[in-house]
Parts: sequence; structure tokens; C-alpha cells
Amino acid sequence: MSELKTNRLFPYALISPAIVVTVVIIFIPIIQTSVMSLFNYVIWKPKDNKFVGFSNYMKAFRDPVFWISIKNTLIWIIGTVFLQLILGFITALLLNQQFWWRGIARSLILIPWVTPSVITALMWRWMYDGNSGVINDLLVRMGILKEYFPWLANTSTALPAIMVALMWQGFPFFAIMILAGLQAIPRTLYEAAEVDGATSLQKFTRITLPMLVPILFTSILLRIIWVANSVDVIYVMTGGGPGYATHTLPVYSFIRAYKALDFGYASTLAILLTILLVIFVAFYVVKVLHSREEF
Amino acid sequence: MKRRLFTLHIPVLLIVLFAIAPYIWMFISSITPEKDLDKEVRYFPRHPTTENYVEIFSKINFASNIRDSLIVAASTMLIGLGISVSASYSFSRFRFRGRNYLLIQFLIINMFPIVLLLIPLFVIMRVLHLLDTYFALIIAYSTFTIPFSTWMMTSFFNAIPRELDESALVDGCTMFGAMVRVTIPIAMPGIAATGIYIFITAWNEFLYAAILTGRTVKTIPVALQNLIGEYEIAWGLLTAGGVVSAIPVIVLFFFVQKQLVSGMTSGAVKA
Amino acid sequence: MRKILLVLFLLIPVLMFATGQKETEMATVHFWYHFDNPESAVNPLVAKFQKENPNIQIIPERIAWNVYNQKLLTAIAAGNPPDVSQVKLWWQPQLVEMGALYPLDDYIKNWPGRDDIYDRIWKLTKYTDGKQYLMPLQMVILYMYYRADWFNELGLKPAKTRDEFLQVAKKLTRDTNGDGTIDVYGFGIRGARGGHDFWGTFVLSSGARFFDEKGNPGLTTPKAIAANQWFIDLYRVHKVSPPTTPNDGFKEIIANMKSGKTAMTIHHIGSSKGMVEALGDKISAAPVPKGTERYWTSFGDEENGVFAASKYKDAAFKWVSFLATAENNAIWQKASGQVSINKSNAMTPEAQSNRFLKATTDSADFAAVLPALPATAEFVESLWPTLMQRAFNGEISSKEMMEKIQELFTKK
Repeated sequence: MSELKTNRLFPYALISPAIVVTVVIIFIPIIQTSVMSLFNYVIWKPKDNKFVGFSNYMKAFRDPVFWISIKNTLIWIIGTVFLQLILGFITALLLNQQFWWRGIARSLILIPWVTPSVITALMWRWMYDGNSGVINDLLVRMGILKEYFPWLANTSTALPAIMVALMWQGFPFFAIMILAGLQAIPRTLYEAAEVDGATSLQKFTRITLPMLVPILFTSILLRIIWVANSVDVIYVMTGGGPGYATHTLPVYSFIRAYKALDFGYASTLAILLTILLVIFVAFYVVKVLHSREEF
Repeated sequence: MKRRLFTLHIPVLLIVLFAIAPYIWMFISSITPEKDLDKEVRYFPRHPTTENYVEIFSKINFASNIRDSLIVAASTMLIGLGISVSASYSFSRFRFRGRNYLLIQFLIINMFPIVLLLIPLFVIMRVLHLLDTYFALIIAYSTFTIPFSTWMMTSFFNAIPRELDESALVDGCTMFGAMVRVTIPIAMPGIAATGIYIFITAWNEFLYAAILTGRTVKTIPVALQNLIGEYEIAWGLLTAGGVVSAIPVIVLFFFVQKQLVSGMTSGAVKA
Repeated sequence: MRKILLVLFLLIPVLMFATGQKETEMATVHFWYHFDNPESAVNPLVAKFQKENPNIQIIPERIAWNVYNQKLLTAIAAGNPPDVSQVKLWWQPQLVEMGALYPLDDYIKNWPGRDDIYDRIWKLTKYTDGKQYLMPLQMVILYMYYRADWFNELGLKPAKTRDEFLQVAKKLTRDTNGDGTIDVYGFGIRGARGGHDFWGTFVLSSGARFFDEKGNPGLTTPKAIAANQWFIDLYRVHKVSPPTTPNDGFKEIIANMKSGKTAMTIHHIGSSKGMVEALGDKISAAPVPKGTERYWTSFGDEENGVFAASKYKDAAFKWVSFLATAENNAIWQKASGQVSINKSNAMTPEAQSNRFLKATTDSADFAAVLPALPATAEFVESLWPTLMQRAFNGEISSKEMMEKIQELFTKK
């Protein structure tokens, strides 16, 4: 793009507002919080606040709850993003077609996303209720269940149950992003394929999917980070319980910070989460790069 | 036409049903009188009432909460889009020193759980005298969404052939002109999608809104949270509020969604 | 976009100027509170107060309960607390340790309303350093709600002892419609956050104590572990509590009572109005049963604290004492549905004939609080619910649970 290099300051001028605000509003606070992880900083014990080096990190590695949280975080990320992606993709493909009520359908599928998380969490918690929840009622009426089941009180179903709620909340994101991505595919490609007599499936695997890769790549990447960090729905639905069954790393960090006021340890957990995510994302990026040369 | 029934209309209907079922259930709860709510599952309330809807507007002044949320979400969207569209155009179209480093840095700062940044941010807002103002939330939200939106927009821009900008420059456009007149119109679906993302994030956010504002500025999630007490949940009001709070965004989106398709076709003609 | 930014940068200083210029002839008191009812009693009380004290301006801010503690701590940590805030007794140790609260002893000494507040409340709210940081606002005492109609049907009486209680709970747990599955459970236990009150009634009354008279920890003695096991067995062995127990919060336990899913539960007078609306005469109340050694029930409370950082402590005290006088406190309680802290408010005839109020006052002598230690907040907020849920689900033993709790309270 030799022509575009004429004004060398132009690219910097375009990014500088983004850099300035992120540095002031996010970057500096992150540094401050990171420094806390090297201190024994418990808010209500101002006298005991002292530098402890990496002992908070050592403590984390010996903390069984930390490892449980890591396991849950991985299950949570992979499961939730996968569910959201599949449903969102199907939705986008369907809503990309022409039909008379498309505008209404597109607006309605947005409902899960625009409902405040607090309400989403309470609503789902109430629907899952083991004594008078509508999900139990429907499953019993349909004969799938014999009696009401305590979805959120059972150690093995609590996390999957929340994942379904988050699938509901998050699939519109993928649907909208993929829908927008589909618009960038030139019609001429399909027309040419039709001339060559390609089937719908061939058009999908040879044109749609490859052309969508960049936007899929980015939205999955961003969604992984977003899902990994989401605390509110889990916290309202189960508070991290029963026991540690729905403790993910950010939930654990949140509980340490605001329920035990142990900001030193909570910051340590936050940093470890960030490192874990960097590794996870790097793994994901390498995988994608490996399978797709041009990216 | 028959085939479209099974491959299109029914699947879409099922997905729409899945999306709105909890919402419908919320609506049913909101028109059920409080004392019938706990008794048993009822799909058609025996004594439907609009009392809760009257009450959220008369008792807790919900109209002003909707106004606050609209102001915050719309301003956040405008500022967030302005900043991230220009940044991502730069990331997509130019190769400059520090580009990759900056892109990755944008991604990494997103990985840190923002719940832990509350105290430092509270201090910043206090120093700037912005506590309990719209600006506190607009600044916080647009910043939190910038890294995400920049990444999203960068890949939308990447999908648009560079030859378009180049030919505009050859035709005598300035660099700014090429961006504003050629690339951005084509990227409208992506910009609309990203704008929706920013708007909704700001519309829904609760924790920062509760801590940084709450008295003069009170967004919908904060107002609704006030209905959840220590010992009691005003369930009827809460569900009514939940139903009402989704409506402005849905209506807004109904008009915006056309942007999701128009960009490429109209832009391509111009180019 | 540039225009927007420009406007933004111009507006920030204007805004700073505007907020910085507030003339402060008047003493302004920022008051934070939370309220369960959508309509609170605060605005009329503020109006009344300002009429009596024209040179003091009260700026009330209502904060959602879910973030109340978090917002307060964030504000304190960032150096910007309100002047007065509603607080819980079990936050007191942390707030005092942080140096956030201002002792009120000198004010209270000369305050005429002092003697109209129950002596027991003064005793319970005094901090371990001998100072009085908190001004009482309201109280609740937990008691047992029970289904009077089912008790009559089965010829039962409210249990007086722990063993009687188990028998009663077992009899009430039944399959009423004959379909082979249990549809009524004897006792709805709150297994999620806040359920430590249930636990205390059966465990702290039967041999377990956080600390004995000599100050030695007493949660891991054989008696204490057995008492905890007895409580776990209610759910795991006798199954007198619904299968959802580990995740049940107050919403669930109350809903289960109202819908007839459970026959007994522990809560306070705040939920009596809703219970009567749903069940009428079928619902009644009695004090909790006695454990093997003593009675224990939770004293629930609400106080106002004045913050050390406040510029207008005199005005702040005027406001908190205003709320603690009988006439104004009655207005507050009318909206909150809780119990007044003033002796004179308990003498009214309507208060005397209320069965829920009676269960409350009958329990007043043994109502107790958790130890006034900084660790208590963590115990209530996260440790107890996590351990209890794990014990209910069979992941840890009674002994492990008690050891973990003792560890929290004894670690230096």
C-alpha cells in the first residue's frame, strides 16, 4: 500500500484517542491492582499491609480451590463459547435469508442480550427452581423427568445449567456479528458457483465458511475473553456454589476481594487468570494459524 | 416454498421461541398478582393485573431510569464507535511501528477481570469530580468496550478489499476522505453490529453503575436491583421492569437492523 | 468524533467547577441506606427532620442490598465514605479496624432518648473495645414459622427441644397426594448464604461455641462435631428438608412455606405479612426449640454508623438519634416491617396481640449474635455457605467443616 504511506502520522492520529483512554482508565488501574498482588493487602487490616513478594502466588498454587476454579473456568469457557457459537451461527445463516418476518425475527432474538444480567440470572434461577420452577414443570409434563430436580443445588448439574443460561444470553452476539460478516461476502462468488453447478453445501463449505473465518476468529477470541471474565450471572445464580461447583477463577477472585476483602490474594488470582487466558488464547491463535495459512 | 417451511420458517420460529421464552415467562410473572406467584406454576394467571406496570412508573420513577440508561448507552455508543472505528481503520489499513504490539496489548488488557478495577476507578472519578454523573459511566463504558470494538472493527475492515481505498486516493481523495467516504460506508454492517454491542453493554452494566453512580444518575439495572432486598424480592415489579427495559432496545434495533444488510451492496455500487 | 471529544473535554472542567462551587453554609449529611420495600419511609422522615433542623440538609441515597457492603467498602477504601450509613452489626469489627467509624459515646451520654432503647440492644451493639460506635435502628429476632393447620391435623405441638423437633419434622414430611413421592417437607433449611442462622439454632445451642468463657475455641470438640452432624443429618439422613436445600436462599424458603412445600422454617417478622396474605390463619409462629444445652436464635439488626471522615458529625448524630426516637422509629418500622428498638413502641395494643410479635419478644432473652470479630463477615458471606453446601452434598465431613470454620476464627 505504498500510496497510503504518504502521511506517516495519520495512522497514529487515528489510534491515539483509543490509546489515551485505555491507558488512563484501564491500564493504570491494572498496574495498581497488579502491585497489590505482591502485598498482604487485606482492606480491614491496614496495619498488616506489607510487601510479601510472590508468596500470594505460592499460596495460590497450594490452594485446592484455585485448581478447582481453573478446571471450572476451562469447562466454562469451552462449553459456553461452543454452545453460543453453534446456536449463533445457525441463527445468522437463517436470518440472512429473505423472508417477510425477518426484521421482527432479528429484533426478537436480541431479547436475551438486552435483558440486564441481573434479571437474566434471577429469571433463570427461578425457572430452574427445584420446587416450583417452570423448567421442572415442563419436563415433568412432557414425561422427561419423573419428579422435580434441583438443577442448581446439585454439584454436577449446577455448572451446565448456568452454561445453558449463558448460551441463551450470549448467542445473539454471535448471530449479529456473523450476520454482519455475511454481508461482506460478494454475491458474485455465489453467482459464479451457481454457474459451475455447486450444491448449497459446497457453497457453504467453499465460500461462506472460508470468507467468514476472520470474523469468526475475532468474535470467538473476544467471546472467550468475555465469557471467561463474566461473574454476574454465576454469582447471582449460585454464588459460586453449591460448594465450589461453580467457582470459576473470576468468581473466586471476586469473592476473595469483596466478601473476604483480601485484595492482595484477589489480585493474585486476577493476574493468574490473565496469564491463563493469554496461554489459552495463544493456543487458540496458534491452532487457527496452523490450519489457515492466510491468517 | 414448502421446503422453506422446514428449512427456514420452523427453525427460525424455534430459535425465536427459545430466545423469547424466558421473556414471556417474565411477562407472565409480571401480570400475576404477587400472592399467587409462589403457589404453583401457572401459564395463564387466574387474576391478571397491570398493577406492577403502573407501580414501576408511579412508585419508583422508572421513566427517569430509562432516560438515564438511554443517555448513557447512546453517548457511550457514539464515543466508543468514534474512537474504535478510527483506531481499527488504522490497524487494518496501515502497517506502522508498534502496530502488532498495540493490537495484542488491547487484547491482553481485556483479559483482566474488570471487577477488580473498581477501587482505582472510583478514585479516578472522585479526583475528576465525576462521581454520580453521566460522564463517569460514559467514560468507563466506552473505555471498557474500546478494545473489543477495535478488534471487531479491524476484522470487518480487513474483509473489505484495500483496492477500494487505493483507487479513491488515486482519484484525488485525501486519506481522511478515503476513510470517511469509501471504507466506512461499506463497513456499515460491521459498524452497526459493533454499535449494537457497545450500546447493549452499556445498557446492561450493573456493578460500575451501582458503585460510581446511584443517586442523581440511576440506570435501569441499578433501579431494578433496588427491588431485590435483603429479605424480600419485589418479584412483580422486578419482572415488570425487566419486560419494560428490553422494549426500547428492541424498538431501536428494529430500525437499525436494516443497516446490517445495506452496507456492502450500496457501498459496492459507489466504488 | 473530534467534535464529541472536544465537547467532552470542555464539559469536564465545567462540571468540576459546578460541583466544586457548592456553597456550604448548611451542614450536609450524606445518608446511605437500603430498604426492602420499593417505597421507603425515608423521604417523609427527611422532610420532618429538616423542618425541625433547618440548618441541616440530609442527602439520602438508597443503595441496593446486593452491592451495599461492596459500595461502602469501595467508598471507604477510596477515602470518600458518606457521613452516615446504615450498617450491620457483623460489619462493625471490620469497619472499626479500618478506622472508619466514629465512636458515639460522648453524644449518647447526653442524649435523652437513650433509656427508651432496650438495654439488651445496647449490650449487643457495643464493640469489644468498650465503645459504642453504632446507633440502633431496628431489630428482628428469628423464630420458627409453622403450619398450624397441619400441626392440628397431626396432633402436634411446636417443639420445645431438639429431639422433639426432629420427631415433629419427620411426621410432617409426607406424601399427601399418594403418588409415591414426598411432596411436603417438615423443615425448610436455608442452605445458601444467610443460612448460618438455622445452623446456629441447632449447632451453637448443642455444644458448639465459637469461643468458651476462657476464650478457647470450641467448634471442634466431639460434642460440637456431633451437633453439626445432627444438623447435616436433617438433610442427608432424615431428609426432612427439600432436595433443593443446598441452594435455597430466603426467597426459596419463604416461597416453599407459602406454596405448602414445607411445614416449618426459620425466619423473622419481616416475612409475616406475605405469609398471612398467602396462608391466612394457617400460619403461626413460636420460638425456636432448645438445643441440648441452651437456646440460640439470631438477633438480626440494623444500625446507623457515623463515619470518622465526616465533616459534620454533630449534624450526623442529630440525624441518627432522630431516627432512633420512638415516634420516628415507628414511622420507619411501619415501612420496613421490622421491630422498633424503642421500649415505648412495644406497649401499643396492636403490638401486644400480634402472634408474630409475640414470638419475637418471647425469644428476646436468648437472642444472640455471632462473635464480634473481623472474620465473622467472611464466615457469613462465603465460608459458611460453601462448607455447608459441601457437607450437605456429602463432599466433606462434619469434622472437616468445623475445623475449617475454627481455622478461620483462630488464624492470626
